[in-house]
Amino acid sequence: MPATKPAVYIEAAALEISWRDEKRNLSELIFDTVRRAIDDGGRGMDGIASVVLAAHDLVDGRSLSSMVTAPAAGAYLRDEIRYGDDGAAAFAAAVVRIEAGEAERSIVAAWGRASEHDVEGVSRVLFDPFLTVPLGLQEMHVSGMRAQSWIQLGGSCANRAAAVARRLDAARSNPRALHSVVRSGRPCYPLLADDMPAWADVVAAVIISSRPARVKVSGMGQSSEAFSIGDRQLARMPGLAQAARQALDEAKHSAKDLDVVEVDGLTLFDEAIALEAAGVADQGKGLDTLAGDRRVNASGGAAAGYCAPAMGLARIVEATLQLQGRAGGNQLPVARSALATGSSIVAAQTHTAIVLERT
Amino acid sequence: MSSVAIVGVGQTTYRRTHPDLSSKELVWAASKEALDDAGLGIDDIDVVVAGVAPDALAGEGSVERSAMMGRGKPFLRVNTGGVTGSSTVFAGASYIKAGRAKAVLVFALERMGQATTSQQVFNTIFDPVYEKDFPLTTITMAALRASMLMRMYGYTARHWAEIAARNYQHARRNPLAHLHLDITPEDVLRSPLLAWPIHRYEACPMSEGACAMVLMAKESIGARKPVWIQGYASTSDSYAMGDRIHRPGATLVDLLSLRLSAEKAYKEAGVTDPRKEIRVAELYSAFSSAEAMAYPALGFCTATDGPRFVEQQQTDRSLPVFNPSGGPQGANPVSATAMVRIAECALQVRGTAGERQVDGVERAVATGQGGATQFSTVCVLGRNPVH
Repeated sequence: MPATKPAVYIEAAALEISWRDEKRNLSELIFDTVRRAIDDGGRGMDGIASVVLAAHDLVDGRSLSSMVTAPAAGAYLRDEIRYGDDGAAAFAAAVVRIEAGEAERSIVAAWGRASEHDVEGVSRVLFDPFLTVPLGLQEMHVSGMRAQSWIQLGGSCANRAAAVARRLDAARSNPRALHSVVRSGRPCYPLLADDMPAWADVVAAVIISSRPARVKVSGMGQSSEAFSIGDRQLARMPGLAQAARQALDEAKHSAKDLDVVEVDGLTLFDEAIALEAAGVADQGKGLDTLAGDRRVNASGGAAAGYCAPAMGLARIVEATLQLQGRAGGNQLPVARSALATGSSIVAAQTHTAIVLERT
Repeated sequence: MSSVAIVGVGQTTYRRTHPDLSSKELVWAASKEALDDAGLGIDDIDVVVAGVAPDALAGEGSVERSAMMGRGKPFLRVNTGGVTGSSTVFAGASYIKAGRAKAVLVFALERMGQATTSQQVFNTIFDPVYEKDFPLTTITMAALRASMLMRMYGYTARHWAEIAARNYQHARRNPLAHLHLDITPEDVLRSPLLAWPIHRYEACPMSEGACAMVLMAKESIGARKPVWIQGYASTSDSYAMGDRIHRPGATLVDLLSLRLSAEKAYKEAGVTDPRKEIRVAELYSAFSSAEAMAYPALGFCTATDGPRFVEQQQTDRSLPVFNPSGGPQGANPVSATAMVRIAECALQVRGTAGERQVDGVERAVATGQGGATQFSTVCVLGRNPVH
């Protein structure tokens, strides 16, 4: 980062993963989680002029849903902006606001409530209405194609079962994970039931600030890929590779040196391929890394609970808690630096990578 | 922090529908024009920020994704309802001010011609249990405010009609406008009532189209002719209209969010007397009564002087010129409208607004208004950067 910009720190983080809480509506889930983050920061709303959100009308089930959700996230009489993007992208935009001198502190929040919307149905309308929607294509199908392409290019599935087992073990030891999975993604070839995300209601919130705190944002990268699936290198995720490279370069870190890696991916294979794109795993060895490297997705990743567009920010919260030493049952013994990534529609078309460091 | 300038503007025409153009083609046409205007190619752009408001209006789930250009660049989508267009500009400006970009392409797209009826879609922005069945829509919502303005400050139907007719006359000089109608205040008053006291010709049309701009850091401008973003601000208010009716200090029609945004943007821009220092005001007011509601919030008059201020505009040429483009009565591509306001101000300050050019525009102000008058933005543009 240029030296003239203020450094940005994460003061506080909160993550709630649940399923069909009949006592709270979406606004209440958002309010409770943002409130927990504010309380965690210990400074109340002092100096918070900015609120940056990531949410989708189609997921929230209401046009311009931020009319009712933004106030619950602390936006009343503040400068609020809502991105129709992944939570990590909103996080990056919020960091930029502080670097630009537009705010000293900012709330960043992202959410999705899988229990109250048709995940597959929403996914279908993201594609070209004339050429693709009639095929019934969903993002999960693209994940299937990505896995197939990766296998065809030599990706190793030798440790697939071990990767599945470790992912589920990690989710079980994560106190924030959804431990009674009600609904999972519907697998398509070559994906299996164990590769699927656990659909969940997810709200993530962080408080960032220019005032020094325990966790510093030391690098950031953003990138994008083509809209058309046929124009993409599905098994290589070049957009994520570029974003991660930018973030790591800015932080002057090597992917191999990181203590904590939290990658966003819809399925087990998406997570494995994301690890390769980020440079954490060697090409074709993503599943091996998921199976054997404890630094990677200690949270359980998508198996701990999944609903777009909250997942990039959820990964940032998990990484932050690791660096703060407050991750709970899944705390890693050494946690000084972390990489968290987030991917957005359509089928991981845009990517954000964030490098965090313990100060 | 770098100062931010607008160095390129591109717009499609605004029409009820563009049946011959895909979403991608609309975005690309506006973006190409903006890039050409700036003398840049897409490879010179560091960040792309897209603005698209409710997906339901377009009936497509990711119109901005399909229109994406500049593969490999950071690409973000903003959705803040009516202020989407201005929020998109502000998001792009932040990247420049932070030093993370030298040039940013921002675009906003509206495809509401694909919606069977926009008011059915707008009905779904309100509470599904308590408000949806009224039916509360953006028209009935505006009517509630208009009647409150009449009761509190003495506005009459004539005031709304005068504002609307002036906007239609301005739109006749804007080749991009959706409506080119020779409408008088009497025509407005004779038009059918949509929801008392709002007549049909006081309301905005449903328009499609795209607007794009290139923003650039001061250090990169070179020989280009910049229009400087001197100050900008955005404020969110409470959702519940009932909570604002008797709010101490700022009722529902006092537009607190716009007032706070104006105060912040003016301070940043060094504006102390907006009535004298601002020559052009492009206001996002989808109804003529909403335009009157914005005047005091922007510091052009007091709330009680509002009706007189409308009357003064007929004779006092020293007052700011409102909506030389025709404003939202001339075209209202919802996602893009707030960006169109900024684009028009940029053209006016640059002196390239064609037949509708206002003389001597040193400084202009553009507003955005969204939600249930819940989200407000103010952007001040001028010929000189603010240090």
